[in-house]
This record gives sequence, structure tokens and C-alpha cells, in this order.
Amino acid sequence: MTIDISFIFEAFQEICKVLPLTLFMTFTPVVLGILIGIVVAFVRIQNIKIFAPLLNFYVSFFRGTPIIMHIMLIYFGIPIVVDAIAQALKLSFDSNTIPILFFVILALTLSAGAYASEIIRAGILGVPKGQLEAAYAVGLTFSQAMRRFILPQAFSQSIPNFTNVFIGFLHATSLAFFVSIKELTGVATIVASVNLKFLEAFIAVGLIYWGVSAIIEWIAHRIEKRVTAYSKGGI
Amino acid sequence: MANDFDFMLIADVLPTLLQYLPVTLEILVFSILFGMVLGIVVAIPKLLHIPVLKQLVSIYISYIRGTPILVQLFLVFYGIPAVLQSIQIDVTRVNAIYFVIITYTFSNAAAFAEIFRAAILTVDRGQIEAAYSVGLSRKQAFIRIVLPQAIRVAFPNMTNTMISSLKDTSLAFSIGVMDMVGRGETLIASTTRALEIYIALSILYYVIVVLLEKLLKRNERYLNRYMQKELATS
Repeated sequence: MTIDISFIFEAFQEICKVLPLTLFMTFTPVVLGILIGIVVAFVRIQNIKIFAPLLNFYVSFFRGTPIIMHIMLIYFGIPIVVDAIAQALKLSFDSNTIPILFFVILALTLSAGAYASEIIRAGILGVPKGQLEAAYAVGLTFSQAMRRFILPQAFSQSIPNFTNVFIGFLHATSLAFFVSIKELTGVATIVASVNLKFLEAFIAVGLIYWGVSAIIEWIAHRIEKRVTAYSKGGI
Repeated sequence: MANDFDFMLIADVLPTLLQYLPVTLEILVFSILFGMVLGIVVAIPKLLHIPVLKQLVSIYISYIRGTPILVQLFLVFYGIPAVLQSIQIDVTRVNAIYFVIITYTFSNAAAFAEIFRAAILTVDRGQIEAAYSVGLSRKQAFIRIVLPQAIRVAFPNMTNTMISSLKDTSLAFSIGVMDMVGRGETLIASTTRALEIYIALSILYYVIVVLLEKLLKRNERYLNRYMQKELATS
């Protein structure tokens, strides 16, 4: 067997067509996950009764199990729950009408939320306590202090970690192919098996992921430079 | 449909799935051990600034970090037989588990290389100078002074790599390895009960990850035993 170089190029073009879907599947969960993460981080830092232990379990479970498990649990679990509710309320709603993409995005969002909450928690705890006291001293309320002082600092410190999460979830979208979503890896397997050229198709898809990861890293680097521009040479 | 959910099945399949834990651990242990050895080799060109090799190693690390492990798995699974076939070696009958171990070794090596490199660079230059001043050779200084400190720094990151590597083993089934997930897939086919099986698998992974974390945490405390208290507990 020889490697068909021209087919790599052909597969590359074919697979690239679903890049927007993969990007959508990456950005939506990470952005929603960051929102979840902020809430979860606050509840855990403030140690709010009942919620804090529940969310501790949420974070530890999602970080302690493979992402493919989250996708499978949601993909098989949610329809059962939805149908049970529909039956109990005598609604004529069938879980089959829910697009599979919704399940994947839900699973990745919950997963991203767990990872993001730990990053945000570490970021908030990384801001010196004196900052909060200084904000109180000039008469700001807790929420004002958080929004104007603590969170911006926490976020700028957390950019490298968020970059890792972004790239991690870009890669995690490859798991959606197990529930037959035609994203990058899914299309690569289709292109590969139609033409019986597996190696070439996976070389092509590897190059695409690599390129997108590099672009995300480059953008993150630019943002990091901007946000940390004022934090250098403090005094 | 909801009435069909079978709690007992989860408990029933746990022992069956657990029998395949050794396969999962085999993949994990070998890929981490080989990954560490390869990681050291990969870290050297960057640490010693060897031209050409240094660039090649950077491309390798960037590729591994830039692509999903699933794609790496498929590349090794289809690529190695193709390469070996061109020199008349037939590996089509080789157990898929070897391809999994090779993939995770490559993947872990890239992670370990960066961890080792960063850890060695955190050791203060003055430490080496101090070692020279008491008459140690370069090799002695590295092994007795730099390495123990670097390992302490590297350990938390190595822990993270090992834990995520354990979770990554859940993809081995995709090239047909009979590990816990692979066995789970066959159970799904025979019982047509996917949710219960995946719940059972999740419980197993969760428990194993928590246990591994506890074990590694104890090791970390041991490595930090000479550090000041406040530093050691952080």
C-alpha cells in the first residue's frame, strides 16, 4: 500500500466543509460552560448550603469520567426522562424529534461547565484578598467589587487555562462521531470508508484539527497580551 | 419507556465489566511507563538546544497537542500497518491493544516531555552552581540535586496527565479492543440497554479515577515531605 498524496488533498477539502459545525459544537459548549462555571464557582466559594455539596459532586463526577460517557449518558438518558415527563403530563411529545446535536451540545456544555468552574474558582482565589478589602474600603458592594475588580483579574489570569479548555473541547467534538454526527472525524470516517483510503483521510483530518488548534492558540495569545498589558510593572 | 429503566441491571453488569479492568490498567500502565521514557528522550533536544532535532520535537509536541486522541488512534491503527506493509511485514493480525498502547505512549510522551522540561527549568541555576562548588560533576549535580527537585515540581502535572490518560483509555474500544467499554458495547448489543450499561461504566471510571487521585496525592505529599508546611500543602 502506498500513500495517495492527492487523495489527502481531496479528503481535506471534503472534510473542511463541516468545519463550521465543529466550531459551533466547540464554541457553544465552552461559552455556556463558562457561564455555568461562574455560577458553580461562586456557590462553591461561598459554600452555600445544600447547593455547594451538590455542585461539588457535579464537578468531581464530570471531571472524573471520560467525556464519551457524558455524551452517551445524555444521549440515552434524556430521551427516557423526556418521554416519561411527556407521558405523565399526557403530552404528545416524542423524544425522537430532538436533534442528536442538541444532546451532544448539552453533554459538552455540562462537561465544559465542570472544567470551567475549577478554572474560575482558581482564578478568583488567585486574586489577593486585599483587592476585595480595598474595593469595600472605597464603598463598593460585593457584586460591584466582583464585577469590576475580582472577575476581570481572575479572567486575565485564567486565559491560558481557558485556551486549554477551548482546544480540549475542539478535540472532544471528535467524540460526536460515535452518536453519528457528521463533524470532522465523522466525515473523515465516511470519506475513508467510501474510498477505502483510511490513512489519507485521517492524515487530512489531523491536519485540520492541528491548524484550528494553532489558530485558537494564536488568538488566545493575542488576547492574553492585550488583557495583561496593564498588569505588568504594577507600580 | 421510563418503567423499562432497570436499576438491577446496573448492579448485575458491574462485576462483568470489572473483569475487564486489567485491560484498561494494562493500557494505562504501559503507555505511562513508555511515555515517560520517550518523554525524557523528547525533552532532551529542547533542553540542550540541539538544532534540527529541537524543531522536529517541537512539531511532534505541537501535533499531539493539536489533534484529538481519537484521530491519533486511527492514524496509528491505519498508518503503522501501511508503513510496515511497505517493508513486507504483515501486522494485520496483531491485537489492537498494541496500537492503543503505541498511540497513548506517543500522546503521553509529548505531555511528559513538556512537563519534564518545564520542571527542570524551574530549578534555580544557583543550585547547580552550588553543586559544582562542592565538587560534583555535571552528571552528579543533575542526578542528585536537579532531578529530585524537578520531580517534585513535575509531579502534580504528571498526575493530571495520568488521570486524563486513564479517561482516554475509554476510546480504545473504537478500534476493537475488549476493555471495559468494549465489553460494555457487547453487553449493550445483547441486552439492548444502553443507558444502564453506560451508567455502570461511568461509576467504574469515576471510582477508579478517585482512587488513582487519592493514591497520587499521597505520593505528592511524600515528595514534598522536606518542604515547609505551607508550601507542601498547597
